[in-house]
Amino acid sequence: MEAASIAAKPVSRRPGEVVRDLLSRFGLIAFLLAMPVYIAVKDLSSGEGITPLLNLLVLGISNGAIWALIAVGYTLVYGIIELINFAHGDNFMLGTFTAFALFGTLGLTVATGPLGLVAGLLVCMLAAMAVCSTTNVMIERVAYRPLRNAPRLAPLITAVGFSFILQNVGILWFGSSQFSIPNLIESQHVLIDVGGVKVRNGDVLAVAVTVPLVLLLTQFIGRSRIGKAMRATAQDPEAARLMGINVDTTISFTFLLGGLAAGAAAVIYALYQTTLWYFAGFQAGLIAFTAAVMGGIGNLQGAVLGGLIIGVIQNISDDRIAAKWTPAVVFAYLIVIMVFRPQGLLGEETREAG
Amino acid sequence: MLGVGFTACGDDDDGDGGGGNKVSGSTLTIYSSLPLQGTSRGQSEAVINGERLALEELAPGGKLGKYRIKYVSLDDSTAQNPGTADEGQTAQNARRASSDKTTIFYLGEFNSGGTKVSLPILNKGGIPQISPANTYVGLTTDDPGSEPGEPQKYYPTGKRTYARVVPRDTIQGAALVATMQEDGCKGLTLWNDGSTYGAGLARNIELSAQQANLPVEGKERTDKNAANYRSLASGINTDCFAWAGVTGENGVQVFKDAAAACQDCKLYGPDGVAEEAFSNPAEGGVPADVGARTKVTVATLGVKDLPAAKPVVEKFRQKFGTRAIDPYAIYGYETMALALDVLKRAGDNANDREVVIEELFNTKDRDSVLGTYSIDENGDTTLTDYGLYVIEDGQPTYSKKIVADPKLIPKG
Repeated sequence: MEAASIAAKPVSRRPGEVVRDLLSRFGLIAFLLAMPVYIAVKDLSSGEGITPLLNLLVLGISNGAIWALIAVGYTLVYGIIELINFAHGDNFMLGTFTAFALFGTLGLTVATGPLGLVAGLLVCMLAAMAVCSTTNVMIERVAYRPLRNAPRLAPLITAVGFSFILQNVGILWFGSSQFSIPNLIESQHVLIDVGGVKVRNGDVLAVAVTVPLVLLLTQFIGRSRIGKAMRATAQDPEAARLMGINVDTTISFTFLLGGLAAGAAAVIYALYQTTLWYFAGFQAGLIAFTAAVMGGIGNLQGAVLGGLIIGVIQNISDDRIAAKWTPAVVFAYLIVIMVFRPQGLLGEETREAG
Repeated sequence: MLGVGFTACGDDDDGDGGGGNKVSGSTLTIYSSLPLQGTSRGQSEAVINGERLALEELAPGGKLGKYRIKYVSLDDSTAQNPGTADEGQTAQNARRASSDKTTIFYLGEFNSGGTKVSLPILNKGGIPQISPANTYVGLTTDDPGSEPGEPQKYYPTGKRTYARVVPRDTIQGAALVATMQEDGCKGLTLWNDGSTYGAGLARNIELSAQQANLPVEGKERTDKNAANYRSLASGINTDCFAWAGVTGENGVQVFKDAAAACQDCKLYGPDGVAEEAFSNPAEGGVPADVGARTKVTVATLGVKDLPAAKPVVEKFRQKFGTRAIDPYAIYGYETMALALDVLKRAGDNANDREVVIEELFNTKDRDSVLGTYSIDENGDTTLTDYGLYVIEDGQPTYSKKIVADPKLIPKG
C-alpha cells in the first residue's frame, strides 16, 4: 500500500489483469494528452507558437492546485469511512468568509506593507484552518458518528443536509450575492514573464501553498502513528479496533485533517479569485469531488492529479472550445476515465469495491 | 395591427381565480414585483422608492378620484437565486396578482427573463403590466435580437397588456456602439451572461457593430458559477471589451478578469451593471481602477439634460437622503406616474381593467420626468435617448446624452 493512500490494500491480480490495467492507465494518459498535444500542433502549424497554450497550462495548474487542496478533504474522508462528505465544499466556503472577515479585523488592505501582509495572511490562514477543521470535526461528531452503522443513505443525506445548513450560514453572514474583496496580493500581477509565458502572483501562491501542504500530509499519513492508524482503519475498521486503535478518534482526526486542507484552500481561493459568495463552496466542492474521483478516491496523489487535470481541462476548454461547454467537457473526461478505469487514475480498490 | 382592447375574463381557465375585467369594490391594488435580494436590491429599492414617491405625490393619501390605491411590493428573487428574478417565485407573484380581485396594475419585472414568466400569466388574467426596467426586444417585437415565436408567445389572449418606460435593446445596443465609435474602438470583444436580457442585448450590439463596421470577436457566454474567467479573458485581442449582462451574473468578476487580461482595453457595460453593487468597491463592486475604465449606458438622462426630472430628484434627495440618485429611481417614479395617469384618464372606469389597458395604450405625448413620450401599439416607449455613465467615487455618474445614429439601430 502506498504511503500516501488510506484506501484499502489492493488484492493480488492475475498477470492478464495487470497488463489490462497498464494498458488502461497508459491509454488514458494518451487520451489526457490528446487535447493539449492537438492544440500545440495546431498552434505551431498556424504560426501562433506554443506560448498561448503554455499560458493556459499555467492558469490551469494554479486553478487546479486549489481544487486539489479541496479534493484532499473529500478523498481523506471517503478513504476512511467511504462517505461523500457533501458539506466539505461548504465548509471550505466558510473558510473563505472567515479569511475575508479577518482581512478587515486585522486591517489588511492593498496598502499594507509586505511583512505585515505576510504575517496577517498567515494569521488568516491559521484561523481559517482552525474554523474549517473544528466545523468538520463537529459535523462528524454530531451527524456522522451516530449514523456509523446506519444504512449508507442515512449519512449521505445527512451530509447533503449539512451542506445546505452551511450554505445558509454563509447567506446569513455575508448575504447571497457574489462580492469582490480587496486584491491583497495583486493576484493577476505578472511576476515572471518568460517569452510571453506569464506567471502571476496568484499562480505562485496557489502552487507554493498546495505542494508543501500535500507533501506534508503525505508524509504525515505515511509515517506518523496516527497516520498508520488512519490507514489501518481505512483497510478494516474492525481489525483496527481489535488491534487497539481508537477508531472514532482516528476518524475524527481524519475530518480534522480534511478541514485543515479546506481552510488553507479557502485562503488561497480568496486571495486568488478575489470574489466570494455562499455558493462558491458547492461549486468548488463539486469540481473537487470530481477531481478526487478522477484521481482515484482515497488516494492523496490521485486527488492532486485529478485537481490539476481538471484545472487544465477547464482552462483549455474555456479558451479553445467555449466556456459554456466546459462543464460538459470536464465530465466527458471523467466518464471516459471511469469507463476504462473505474477506480480512477491512481486509485485502488476500496473495501466497498474490493 | 395589434388590438389593445380586452375581452371579459370570464373564460379564465387557468385556475388562477382571476375573475372578470372589473375590480370589485373601491380599492385598486398596484403590485410591484422586483428582486429585493442580492446585487439588484439597490436598483429595486430605488425603483420602489420612486414608485412610492410618485404615489404620495400623485395620489395623496392613497386616494385617486373615488378609489383608494393600495400598493403591494413583492420580491421575485429568492435567497438561493438572488439578484435576479427566480422563475418559480415570479410565477407565484404573477398568480397572486392575477387571482387578487382588486389588482389593477402589476409593475414589474426588473429582469426581462422574469417578465417572460409573469407576462403570459398576467395577460391571461387581463392584468395591465408596466415594467420599469425591461429592455429585451422580444417582449414586445420581433425585431432583430428576438427569438422565433416572440412576442406572440407571451400574449396567450392575443391582446397586448404590457408596456415599458425604457427603450428596448435595439436602442441600447446602438447607443453602446455609438459610444465605442466615438472612443475610436477598432475591434470589440463581446461577452454576455446568457440570460434573456444579456444574450438579446449582445445580439443587438453585434448587429449595430456590423452597421458601424466594428469587427466583433470572441463572442462568449459567461457562466455565473465559474470561479473566474481568466483563460477566457486571455483570448481578448481587441482594444474594446463589452459585456451584456447584470451584476448578479458575476459581472464584477467578469470585468476584473477582462481588465487584468487586457490592460489597455476600454470597457463597456449596459444598464444591468449601473448599480453600486457593481461600481462601488466598498459594496463588493469592481476595484476603482477598473471602474475608471468602464462606461455604462442607461436609458435615463442626467438632470442637466432632463430638466423635467429636477424637482423629482430634489424631492427624492429630501425624502431618501442625499446620496447620488440611482437612475432607476426615476424609472420607478415614471412607472407609477404612468399607471396613475392611466387610472386618472380612465376616471370612474379606473376599476375596469379593459378600459385601463386601452388607456395605457392611448398614452400619447405624455410629459414626464423622462421627457415627452408615447406608448406605441407594441407597448414600447417612443423615447430613444440614452445616457452615458462613468464611474466616479464608486457611483455611476451621468456623463452625457448619447444620440445613436438611426443607421445603427437594427430594423425588423
